[in-house]
Amino acid sequence: MTIDITRRHLIAGVAGAAALPLAARAQSRLPVPKPAGFPREPIEMTVVYPAGGGMDITARVVQRFVEKHSGERFLVNNRTGGAGLVGHTWLATQAPTDGHAVGVIANLVISDAARSQGRWTINDLDHIAHLNAEPLNLCVNAEGQYRSGGLRGLLDAARARPGTIRVANVVGGYYEYLIEQLEQASGSRFLKVPFQGGGPGITALLGNNVDLAFGFFGEISGHLAANRIVPVAVTGRQPSPFLQGVPTVNSVIGRDDANWGVSRWIAVPRAVPADRKAWLAAAFRAAVADPELVEEFRKLGAMPDPALDTPEKLNAAVQQMAEAERAYLIASGRAQR
Amino acid sequence: MDPVAGLLAGFGVILTWQNIQFIFIGSLIGTLIGVLPGIGPLAALSLLLPATVALPPVGAVAMLCAIFYGSMYGGSITSVLVNIPGEAASVVTCLDGYAMAKQGRAGAALGMAALGSFIAGTLGIVVLSVAAPALGAFAIRLGPPEYTALMALGLACTILMIQGSALKGAIMIGAGAALAAIGMDIITGEFRFNYGSIQLSAGIELLAVVIGLFGVSEILLNVENAARGMAVKARLSGLWPSRVDWAASWAPILRGSGLGFAVGLLPGGGPVTASFLSYAAERRIGKDPHTFGKGRIEGVAGPEAANNAAVSSGMIPLLALGIPGNAVTALLMGALIINGVQPGPTMMTDRADVFWGVVASLYIGNVFLLILNLPMVGLWVQLLRVPYSVLFPSIVLLAMVGTYSANRNLFDLWVMLGFGVLGWFLRKLGYELAPLVLAFVLAPLLEQSLRQSMVMSPDGAMIFLERPLAALMLGAAVLMLLLVAFKGLTVRKLGGTT
Repeated sequence: MTIDITRRHLIAGVAGAAALPLAARAQSRLPVPKPAGFPREPIEMTVVYPAGGGMDITARVVQRFVEKHSGERFLVNNRTGGAGLVGHTWLATQAPTDGHAVGVIANLVISDAARSQGRWTINDLDHIAHLNAEPLNLCVNAEGQYRSGGLRGLLDAARARPGTIRVANVVGGYYEYLIEQLEQASGSRFLKVPFQGGGPGITALLGNNVDLAFGFFGEISGHLAANRIVPVAVTGRQPSPFLQGVPTVNSVIGRDDANWGVSRWIAVPRAVPADRKAWLAAAFRAAVADPELVEEFRKLGAMPDPALDTPEKLNAAVQQMAEAERAYLIASGRAQR
Repeated sequence: MDPVAGLLAGFGVILTWQNIQFIFIGSLIGTLIGVLPGIGPLAALSLLLPATVALPPVGAVAMLCAIFYGSMYGGSITSVLVNIPGEAASVVTCLDGYAMAKQGRAGAALGMAALGSFIAGTLGIVVLSVAAPALGAFAIRLGPPEYTALMALGLACTILMIQGSALKGAIMIGAGAALAAIGMDIITGEFRFNYGSIQLSAGIELLAVVIGLFGVSEILLNVENAARGMAVKARLSGLWPSRVDWAASWAPILRGSGLGFAVGLLPGGGPVTASFLSYAAERRIGKDPHTFGKGRIEGVAGPEAANNAAVSSGMIPLLALGIPGNAVTALLMGALIINGVQPGPTMMTDRADVFWGVVASLYIGNVFLLILNLPMVGLWVQLLRVPYSVLFPSIVLLAMVGTYSANRNLFDLWVMLGFGVLGWFLRKLGYELAPLVLAFVLAPLLEQSLRQSMVMSPDGAMIFLERPLAALMLGAAVLMLLLVAFKGLTVRKLGGTT
């Protein structure tokens, strides 16, 4: 690499633009015609979580491929605060509606909509392209007391000594719901130690400050490789392709609704013109269909969902996720019917 | 791989023309963003992250690291020259640095800040190279009870920093803690003190508070003084630290290095806390505590060493274990992952090239920074020749750009301006602002770890006594408070004055 290229990349980076060689762009073979006069500037991919985190890394990988398939420039922008609430609110209520801002969001938007106190709902966004999904992995310390008994052994221990097993919790979301399901299965109580996110919980597990922690693949893979932690179960309807022989929570506790995990997709404000929505949807769809991007996702521990290949199917799936979450909230007494 | 062989291999990886360029560019950008108030390392790294996708991983991460520690070098420059901290970690440098500048000793302050940074940074890296895995394994065992004790110790040290009225200082500590409580309750997820506002539910941004309280209020004060025709401009005389300065500074630099290294090692600790604690320690240990804040070089050398040592040791949990301890190292971890390197305990063996390459790059970067900063002292000091009517509007503009770039949220700008006016009032009324900032940083960490400890303990507060390290640090905090309570007594006995 010559000095000049280096310098150009740096300048491009400072300007917030993508470091994509010009030659790689320019050819676009999308099945949808490009709307007249759009895009007239780089399209902002808004990530509502901090740079360097799981969502941010996903967005930056997708950015490379959507640029490749659309021939247009995209840039990732982090609008953080309030554990996502500020960015989600911006997308739903303030973002430009001319198609130059798209959200890289996840199913966590559903609980944020509830936290917005009626300012906006998930229907203020149009969910146009699914990216990928991954389950939660339940792990114990490889040198801890519960290293060999699996999830079943942990639940038995909880039954024998209620209120002594320490579980890393992230309040107000899937971590909490999953712990409740485990408590119901064991007929016992856990000590729910609250953390700000899955990563700190895994750190506490490594230091033996908790007995059970949940994490996404990116948060655990380094420690799995070093044999520091042992996976005991995964959420979802089927076992994870990344963890051979690890059972699902559902199969251990005999339920069918321990399916908490993360699902990531692209959304735009509802008011974006239909032709621009269609073009953006096609561009992101083409990127996700690229086997090289699928491989990048696999490295991060996530899989695309081939069943969600159109905006209509994705919008239906998002509604379904929102209903499933609401059903759980009602069943657990958190919300009124 | 043993450290010496590892380091040699690391230098083998890093010593290519291309990588040297990356480190140099990183050092330069880091110094620059350190100088510019508002634009911190976090904002700069997230802006540069996309550019590193196209670079080889070692070069990319080496460059990003150089920006991080480079900003610690640069942060002292505006603190000393115009009393406006370039970074949150340089807030305490203002206290004595600016006083020195007013006495015409800006060059000595800047020179010592650069030397202290270099010594501390290098010492930190040496320890990192030798003991990273062991230190990492130690840091990870520390849980919520140890953090609680550490934060309590930190807050106790804040009290030592108070120079004037103890009551006013206590009010500032309380105000900092109260402001930090705005936003989401970290334990229940409920919103506190947000009064129905989405913006407040995200809490108040530290950067906006620091830039407002210190930067904007300083400018307001100067505008006021200029309007009354009584502006005091820093004078220029000697450019270099004298033999006397050096004699006074070497011990604070070593203490700052040790303290900063220990604080930086812990998740949640970091350069900001390190610099505050070092200042408090120097005031406690140094002769004539009452002359601190009036141009003591120890008050510059110690904290500037501490923040650089904290950066070096902050790399340990990340490189040795794949655990980021603060927002900047979290971003560095993201950069590694984007470049196809999975950080974790296996990185030292699986990707020894990256691990040792990055470690080796830290040595090179610190040398670059010393070379960049020492001769530049003369140049930076020339900044004082720029008329305030040009300098201050430029600083306000940069501060606004920097504050906005942190979260891309306009609300932060209003927070910054609001705190600017508040800071102006508080300074006129004789309240110290540094304790407010430190409480703002420490209180949420204390609250979180205290509540975590209480949840994870089957037998209540006993958990703090059952864990030796926590008990030790809590004991030290109590001792510290007792020292303050009986300050008059001890000082008189030692033959000093209160």
